[in-house]
Amino acid sequence: MSRIALALIASVSLGALPPRSSQAQRSAVDTYAITNARIVTVSGPPIERGTVVIRDGLIAAVGTNVSAPADARLIDGNGLTVYPGLFDSNTSLGIPQPSPSPSPATTPGGGGFGGQRPQTAILTALNSSQPAGLQPEVLAEDFIKPGGEQIEAARQMGITTALSAPRQGIWIGQSALINLAGDTTQEMIVRSPVALHVGFTPLRSGVYPNSLMGVFAVLRQMMLDAGRFREVQQAYARSPRGMKRPDQDRALAALLPVLDGSLPVVMYADSEREINRALDLAEEFKLRAIIAGGVEAGKVAERLRTRNVPVLLSLNFSRRTTAAMPEADPEPLRVLRERVEAQKTAGQLAAARVKFAFQSGAMTNPADFYPNIARAIDNGLSREDALRALTTSAAEILGVNDRLGSIETGKIANLTVTRGELLTRNPTFAYVFIDGRPVDLKPAAATVPVAASSTSATGSWTLTVNTGSADLTMTLVLQQEANRLRGSIQGALGSGEISNASLDPGGDFRFTVPVTLEGQTTEATFTGKLAGNEMQGSVTFVGRAPGTFSGSRAQAAPALAENTVLSGTWLLKLLVGLKTFPGTLKLEQQDGVLSGLLQSPFGVTRLESGSLDDQGFRFQSRARIDGRVVEMTVEGSVSGEEIRGTVRSEIGFARFTGTRQKT
Amino acid sequence: MMTRLTIQLLICSLIAGISLPPSFAQDRSAAQETLIRNATVLTVTRGTLTNADVLLRNGKIAAIGKNVKASANARVIDATGKFVLPGIVDCHSHSMLDTINESTLSVTSMARTSDVLNPHDIDLYRALAGGVTSLNLLHGSANAIGGLNTVVKIKFGRPAAEFIFPGAMPGIKFALGENPKRSNSQPQPGQTRRYPMTRMGVEETIRDAFTRARDYKKSWEEYRASASRSEKNLVAPRRDLQLEPLVEVLEGKRYVHAHCYRADEILMLINLANDFGFKIRTFQHTLEGYKVAREIAQHGAGASIFADNWAYKIEAYDAIPYNAAIMTRAGVIVSMNSDSDERARRLNIEAAKVMRYGDLSEEEALKLVTWNPAVQLGIQQRVGSLEVGKDADLAIWNGHPLSVYARVDTTFIDGEIFFDRQQDLARRPDLLKERAQLEAAEPNRPPPGGTSPQAPRRRRPTNADDDMWEGGVEQP
Repeated sequence: MSRIALALIASVSLGALPPRSSQAQRSAVDTYAITNARIVTVSGPPIERGTVVIRDGLIAAVGTNVSAPADARLIDGNGLTVYPGLFDSNTSLGIPQPSPSPSPATTPGGGGFGGQRPQTAILTALNSSQPAGLQPEVLAEDFIKPGGEQIEAARQMGITTALSAPRQGIWIGQSALINLAGDTTQEMIVRSPVALHVGFTPLRSGVYPNSLMGVFAVLRQMMLDAGRFREVQQAYARSPRGMKRPDQDRALAALLPVLDGSLPVVMYADSEREINRALDLAEEFKLRAIIAGGVEAGKVAERLRTRNVPVLLSLNFSRRTTAAMPEADPEPLRVLRERVEAQKTAGQLAAARVKFAFQSGAMTNPADFYPNIARAIDNGLSREDALRALTTSAAEILGVNDRLGSIETGKIANLTVTRGELLTRNPTFAYVFIDGRPVDLKPAAATVPVAASSTSATGSWTLTVNTGSADLTMTLVLQQEANRLRGSIQGALGSGEISNASLDPGGDFRFTVPVTLEGQTTEATFTGKLAGNEMQGSVTFVGRAPGTFSGSRAQAAPALAENTVLSGTWLLKLLVGLKTFPGTLKLEQQDGVLSGLLQSPFGVTRLESGSLDDQGFRFQSRARIDGRVVEMTVEGSVSGEEIRGTVRSEIGFARFTGTRQKT
Repeated sequence: MMTRLTIQLLICSLIAGISLPPSFAQDRSAAQETLIRNATVLTVTRGTLTNADVLLRNGKIAAIGKNVKASANARVIDATGKFVLPGIVDCHSHSMLDTINESTLSVTSMARTSDVLNPHDIDLYRALAGGVTSLNLLHGSANAIGGLNTVVKIKFGRPAAEFIFPGAMPGIKFALGENPKRSNSQPQPGQTRRYPMTRMGVEETIRDAFTRARDYKKSWEEYRASASRSEKNLVAPRRDLQLEPLVEVLEGKRYVHAHCYRADEILMLINLANDFGFKIRTFQHTLEGYKVAREIAQHGAGASIFADNWAYKIEAYDAIPYNAAIMTRAGVIVSMNSDSDERARRLNIEAAKVMRYGDLSEEEALKLVTWNPAVQLGIQQRVGSLEVGKDADLAIWNGHPLSVYARVDTTFIDGEIFFDRQQDLARRPDLLKERAQLEAAEPNRPPPGGTSPQAPRRRRPTNADDDMWEGGVEQP
């Protein structure tokens, strides 16, 4: 995203608000006192009625017998509760999203999708010895930009501090802990680097490594190489004469603090076996591991505790996103269990005395943050432990508990002040202080960022995916909340829930989903554009040639009027893949019996004994195509002089629209 | 509708993961002694004993014979009319692997199947139900030199680490012919086609890798010699995870399992191995093995094959069902493998087919799925036959295992029960109940107001028929 675009977003998000005091008059007010408030210090017992004094960015005093300084701006804390500023312990806040590159020929209404390259969120370093995705020298702090609507949205949710790391990669890069306010990156950073992040997702570009086995092989080889790099450098430093000068290598050099245990490694692992594999690797190389994600960490709690491995626990609890479909195979018991068990993990970790902090991670819907904490509490997590997972535990895991995480004199004045209880499904934030300065809070209703557009993706979409060798039909159900998408697919590519989904106001969208293609499970990334009830774009498959897709939103067909007359000749436009073909459909409705004749460049098909209800008409028919008999279904609806519908068969899928031929 | 749903639920509960009620978990503990009484015992190496008892104690076979005495608290199973067979060993499996091919490079000896084990793979449970107890988990056949294998005991329900077969010889997958030369035949935009594209290139790729491995071995030997002379400022050579396993092959410390079809490429690999001074442990698939059976036997290699699966591609046209018998008569140690999550459930039938085609004796046929694959994997000291002192890995069958009507009642590994038909049946109502509870739980309820997606017209696309699938991306 360009600087200008960021500036625009910033000005839009700030435009409706009074100017931030911190920006306008930095030094004018730097002393605040919140009086008569309930103070949850976390480090000690709660103070039922006390005062917190903030001066020059720090907590100057806290307690029952503290009086507000004369120069302090007073905040009446009656009915308010003051908490330490809350952490989100794994995000990509401040790191710009890769925006879809402009396609070469985006003309309204079509074309141009072939030129779109799959987007990658992998960040790269300069002059690296390693390919993108395997560069441990990448620093989040080089990419973090202040402002932006995501940082704004997090602050509106009472988050003051976040661990920020790039989104993708194997060696993803080194994270930074940032305060979510400040005019410059430098001002925001609390600590950097915090940890080296490791994802185990293979590279998508079809080069080594493209499998999980390869990922482990590369990680091992690079750590071995780094160890030898250190030896060679030391030998050369001892006695350069007579020794060939060894190559410099910042990628390998960046692994040295990891190998000597001074820099922890945040390993992305959700399932029991992913966590065990990550821990195996950590033990093999004596890494200081932190698990991120940790959906099934409860099942590995014993090992995590004995190895003293903390968890950045994702609040992205999975749930069924679509209504049950009577014809579908029932979901495996394993999937049903996983959804239910995920909500128990936090409680299990607390019971096993594994240190953990909450993170939003790749949350599909940020609005689920507090409801999901509430669900964890409903499933066995104590409120105290939940609060620690947002404050002190996070500060300890991320190495800043000497300056953040509790309300104590001398610590950074990050405070989250609520009206009423924090740990409810919908807490109300009265004040958020970051580095001693208040953040402007929007009225509650406006806390969720709204895409500045009328584009809506919500609905059930029927997609045809062309993989190069076949046309596959699937249903995509999307639910849009602001600029976030959630949903699932079902059909010829298997079924699965989408992730990493986004939609921008212009209608450009992307999402990733596990698919089954020719018996093999892989991952597909859909990138495209939607306009009205149509969408099209390109799809990349890990380890396979890319394809294209197009589709339309299933619409509630207009009810057929009692006297709707279907009879007549309809001139059709048949949309097959991205191409349009002409056709005609002759319909004859007589004494409640419906028959017809479908003509198209693909042949002539007689349609008999159609059924008719208030949703439309439907034929089940057989056609002979290329010497084989193919079952096909023609469905549609008529509204006045307009007709629309679909033709489905095992060999293809077409949509049609048309008008009645004037006689 | 209700009935259909019930059947669906039943099927689904059967194939879903199994959580064991506590009583069952106790029942199967290894510490417990088990006496299998009055069975027909197919020892495979020591003939067939009728009305015999088998005593399992401390994970081992403690006694075989008549009137065996067990301690008072032993579990006693009356196996009258039933058969006891050693656990079947599958010498070519891709079950339990989250990924099968690292298909980018032609030499991926740094890839390890042990890194991607999924102990919850339901196919493992299905294999147990077919009397299978050990698997050779192989990398796929996309590369001339593939990744490292893992030999496991199917301790379904346990952490992956407990599956590892103790003391099994490590191995590596090679592949010849169409798969390694045509892999990535549809390169992505901007990618070049991968070398090799011909069978000549496959040979050159392997020769090149072993030439590099030989140099690598030498560089370490020189380093160790210098180090022993206490030379100063020495830096060890770079450890190369790609070449280390090939050095182990050269040193005879790692078995080569080579996917192959055609006689010419089998001879090619034998010559190549002779040139570098290593042995091929098994040829996998080996469809034209009967043409070069004497050469295979002379090299000392085994062959792990299908009974009657062929013509699924050009290089698989010359296969015959007499392959196993001809190679066996030539002195090759032959095993029947699955290479498929489906076929793994009925390897006993694969063995039976070879009695029909080629007149192997009953014992020879049984060896194809028990003793022979155990020898091929170097685990015959522990499994592959029923002998006192060996691991208590065996199954009780309700009929002769070479009959299509025989089913497995109970499968033991290290004296523990990992599959029991009666207990499986008994569990199903509980699983149905659990499903009902889970379906009602909040995260499993669909969001309000959503429309249900359209039902697909066909439940599965025609090009993804389960029966056609041979396990992952691997071509058999």
